[in-house]
Amino acid sequence: MGTGIACHLANAGFSCLLLDILPPDLKEGETSPEARNRLAASALKKALKAKPAPLMDPEFASRIEVGNFEDDLPKIADCDWIIEVVVERLDIKQQLMERVEQHRKPGTLVSTNTSGIPIHLIAQNMGEEMRRHFCGTHFFNPPRYLRLLEVIPGPDTLPEVIDFFMTFGDRFLGKQTVLCKDTPAFIANRIGVYMMGVVFQLVEELDLTIEEVDVLTGPLIGRPKTGTFRLADLVGLDVAVKVIGGVQENCPEDEDVQKIKLPAYFQHLLDNKWFGDKTGQGFYKKTDERDERGKRIILALDLKTLEYRPRRKPKLPAVEAAKQIEDLNKRLQFLLKDQSKVGEFMRRSFAALFSYASKRIPEISDTIFGIDDALRAGFAWKQGPFEAWDAIGLETGLDLCSKAGLKVAPWVSEMQDKGAANFYKRESGRKFCYDLPSGKYQEVRSTEGLVILDNYRDQSPVYKNDEIILHDIGDGVLCLEFTSKMNAIGEGILRGLGESIRIAEEGEWQGLVIGNNADNFTVGANLMLIAMLAYEQEFDELNMAVHLFQQTSMRCRYASVPVVIATQGYTFGGGCELLMHCDSAAAAAESYIGLVEVGVGLLPGGGGTKEFALRASKEYGPDGVMIPTLVERFRTIAMGTVATSAYEAYKYGYMERGRDQVVMNTQRNLAKAKKRVLELAPNYVQPQPQQVTVLGRTGLAALYAAVSEMYLGQFISEHDAKIARKIAYVLCGGDLSGTSRVSEQYLLDMEREAFLSLCGEQKTLERIQHMLKTGKPLRN
Amino acid sequence: MDAYIIKAYRTAVGKAKKGSFRHTRPDDLAVKVIQHIMSEVPDIAPEMVDDVIVGCANPEGEQGLQIGRWVAVQALGITVPGMTVNRYCASGLETISLAVAKIQAGMGHVFLAGGLESMSMIPMTGYKFAPNYNIVANTPEYMASMGITSEMVAKKYEITREQCDAFALRSHQRAAAAIDAGKFKDEIVPVEVTEVFVEGDRRQEKKFTVDTDEGVRRDTSLEALARLRPVFAAKGVTTAGNSSQTSDGASMVLVVSEEIVRRYNLQPIARLVSYAVGGVDPLYMGIGPVAAIPKALKRAGLQLKDIEQVELNEAFAAQSLAVIKEMDLDPEIVNVNGGAIALGHPLGCTGAKLSTQLFNEMRRRGQKYGMVTACVGGGQGIAGIYELL
Repeated sequence: MGTGIACHLANAGFSCLLLDILPPDLKEGETSPEARNRLAASALKKALKAKPAPLMDPEFASRIEVGNFEDDLPKIADCDWIIEVVVERLDIKQQLMERVEQHRKPGTLVSTNTSGIPIHLIAQNMGEEMRRHFCGTHFFNPPRYLRLLEVIPGPDTLPEVIDFFMTFGDRFLGKQTVLCKDTPAFIANRIGVYMMGVVFQLVEELDLTIEEVDVLTGPLIGRPKTGTFRLADLVGLDVAVKVIGGVQENCPEDEDVQKIKLPAYFQHLLDNKWFGDKTGQGFYKKTDERDERGKRIILALDLKTLEYRPRRKPKLPAVEAAKQIEDLNKRLQFLLKDQSKVGEFMRRSFAALFSYASKRIPEISDTIFGIDDALRAGFAWKQGPFEAWDAIGLETGLDLCSKAGLKVAPWVSEMQDKGAANFYKRESGRKFCYDLPSGKYQEVRSTEGLVILDNYRDQSPVYKNDEIILHDIGDGVLCLEFTSKMNAIGEGILRGLGESIRIAEEGEWQGLVIGNNADNFTVGANLMLIAMLAYEQEFDELNMAVHLFQQTSMRCRYASVPVVIATQGYTFGGGCELLMHCDSAAAAAESYIGLVEVGVGLLPGGGGTKEFALRASKEYGPDGVMIPTLVERFRTIAMGTVATSAYEAYKYGYMERGRDQVVMNTQRNLAKAKKRVLELAPNYVQPQPQQVTVLGRTGLAALYAAVSEMYLGQFISEHDAKIARKIAYVLCGGDLSGTSRVSEQYLLDMEREAFLSLCGEQKTLERIQHMLKTGKPLRN
Repeated sequence: MDAYIIKAYRTAVGKAKKGSFRHTRPDDLAVKVIQHIMSEVPDIAPEMVDDVIVGCANPEGEQGLQIGRWVAVQALGITVPGMTVNRYCASGLETISLAVAKIQAGMGHVFLAGGLESMSMIPMTGYKFAPNYNIVANTPEYMASMGITSEMVAKKYEITREQCDAFALRSHQRAAAAIDAGKFKDEIVPVEVTEVFVEGDRRQEKKFTVDTDEGVRRDTSLEALARLRPVFAAKGVTTAGNSSQTSDGASMVLVVSEEIVRRYNLQPIARLVSYAVGGVDPLYMGIGPVAAIPKALKRAGLQLKDIEQVELNEAFAAQSLAVIKEMDLDPEIVNVNGGAIALGHPLGCTGAKLSTQLFNEMRRRGQKYGMVTACVGGGQGIAGIYELL
């Protein structure tokens, strides 16, 4: 965990010192720093190989210096923030803090990453000055990917220290910061683990299987696909039981948590030390056997017999029906009305959640949004308890609780008495939350300065079609939101984008932001559409569709107003092509960007291949040898390389330094893009078409040879080689006799022709079909 | 008129990129070797040298600007000419044959011939890989990398991964034994290197002498070799462990006419009895020696059984094994002191370096006929047969 935090600080651009204990097996005579630092060094080395990667760019590892507590503690005098991430034992933490106090300079911030030990106990022996600068900063594992940072003041922590962490964590570390209190397990784990306990009991009472429960507590209700039991395996059963036990021990007044009893099946696993993934088995058990489709066979624990049996896909009609409902809120409403055990499970678990969460205010949080923020960011829930409650309606929620015989905190009815029917409301781009002390709605602090498109739903859009909504996000800036399934780019988005640029140009607008608040910016072009036209061999239609895409990309590039794109998550294929054609990108650090078209047997046809030729052309020095640059660009497209962070996207040339920016906090990318439009707008000059240097035959020979090499080495199939040669052809401007200057349109025409010719290939059609069916690329 | 080899020396071979010669220019290495040779033949004044013939496989960048001339100028002065010859990995042997041929044709009496390469400075295919479009468009396999050709040879001649690794291990073991026995000591010209670098934000200088080949891995084993992944083909046999190493080094020999030998009473080491090159399918480059060896034997009027020792350049274990198999060579007389897998393969230098090693080992064993052979990029083979005098 300490290494993960160090990696994330490195991601954020800070240099840090990672200290570990001396190796217990250190031999006499091993005096070199290499030997004495080997625990920290090997942890860092492991991190470099870990998947998902803790570092956004392997090169960031150079920002981390390793050391050990015995030799290097004095170095913390030069650090601005000291984070303790040692074993969860009070005496050890206190001893370390004593040593930290000897070396740290006054004013240096000190925090603990404890998840269970009270902050005030860790602080109790510290001097006053250190206590004022000490608090809890609780990261969630893995620190790069889980967005929550709980900030817990100690009894003497200065308010400005807490304010600093709340802002710093948000802006610089990209975290959802949540202000907690010094209560056991803080916010996210307190509620999350309680809910785990509730589900553990419900599964027996309602006679459900673990696979069924994992479906019922997964994406169906806006939670991660690990559900409950898979998550328990991932976290470790021993850890889960420790947190539950800790809360039970330290919160004698929490009746709900006291009622939780570990079921027999859970005890059975603990007795056998089957703690989950780390011990190879838990609720599920991976085997080395494979089924007829080559998939690894996974066993699941039968809770009654306590035997493992092959995992079964649950057959729950209510779930199948609910899956058809796209909108999460409507889906929840539907599920809660169901009369089967699915509905019963939902009613009882949500009642428990609502009741428990309401009673934790003000114990663990003064604010409603603090609890929602923590669960959303810490457990990757789409909605926190109160947001879910709003989704089904306050009355319905209260009704659920009373039917389940569960009490709700009195403030909820007080709130109702004051005429407030919801926990949240959204008005003209802002989000407000009911504030208990004042009894009024107040703007949610954690959303101030953000652009959240849901907050604009009450105003009528500037323009709308079936795949986009064009919002007025204030200050003369428009924001185009994709609304298609998985934000796939189809005709609606392309026409809507053209129309939006026209509106921006003709009206008194500063410029346009392209972006959305979905998990993924876009999965790329609408493959279904291409597949249909390709199967029917409707080449005229296909030609028009690809042409439309290319011209839309070019509209983004050559509009008379700034067009800025904000990305997060998947930014594949067509999404990447749009990115490269905008004036600037505000890419969330967690953007996964790539021209992945080869995976479906195509080449980037929306201007992406042309754009790589253009970018290579800009990189050629006047007397440069050019070919290495060209080869690198070629390789990126031909291998369908995906950047696993926005920083990596710079390396692959999908993003350009200076022009495109990385935003650490995913939620801030739209706001950043809007700001960028406003920066560019006052002096914006419509860009003029440019000429592209292409290498013709000289380049083509080098690339063809590279393709042949990969093919002979059996790294790529014959069809891969064919696609790669077509990419090479476009990048070189064809078989021109020598280095030439050509227009973008010349290259776009070549790109389109190559795209269409691949659409006529049987193997490409097979790839597209496979992707549509399985979501995975086919190698044929 | 006949030609004789009077002196043969080399530098130690450094590991490319991380070895001792990573910042030492290859022309400087060759100059050191020539200066050492000249110091041993005081009767031959620098201006008597008719030409300096330098082999180099990638004559560009630091090795460009016709490096042979600059080796000559630095080592022997402005009146001595120099040229660069490229037959890829055979360059260092090709230059010796050219010197011999020129003497035999009456075009001069005193030649320095050999080769150099800094693979630290110039990558395998040079900085601008620009093959002929027509070749690539019609027969892209002709442009296959050397690694791919190793795989193709392995497949065709049924060489297994285990055989390759065993061959590689043997190369390391033999090379280590040779170094420990001091066998290369007398042929290596020690080079003093001064490295200027920054440490702790300060300019620092470090001086050290390089007199030992750096490539040998004494700790390698079949298990360690077996763990390496094939680099060139997904299911291939060729790994970094059973391929030649990229290296830096230089080697030169002094070739003079019979007249010079007599006039100055010089003691010849050897003479080049015959030499041949041949072409094969570029995709099976590694089998090249098979096209050259019979020609060379025929020209020498010898039979394979007359050859007592062979230096077969270990471009790849797979190709070496295929050549041994096809030519029915006795593995016990091939690369008795290890080969390029352990000792390195500074491309342009190798031909002269292997000749130098061969002379010394033949002398120790009291042998008469020996051969240097190598596969050559683009699908060629070379073989040179020496008679020790």
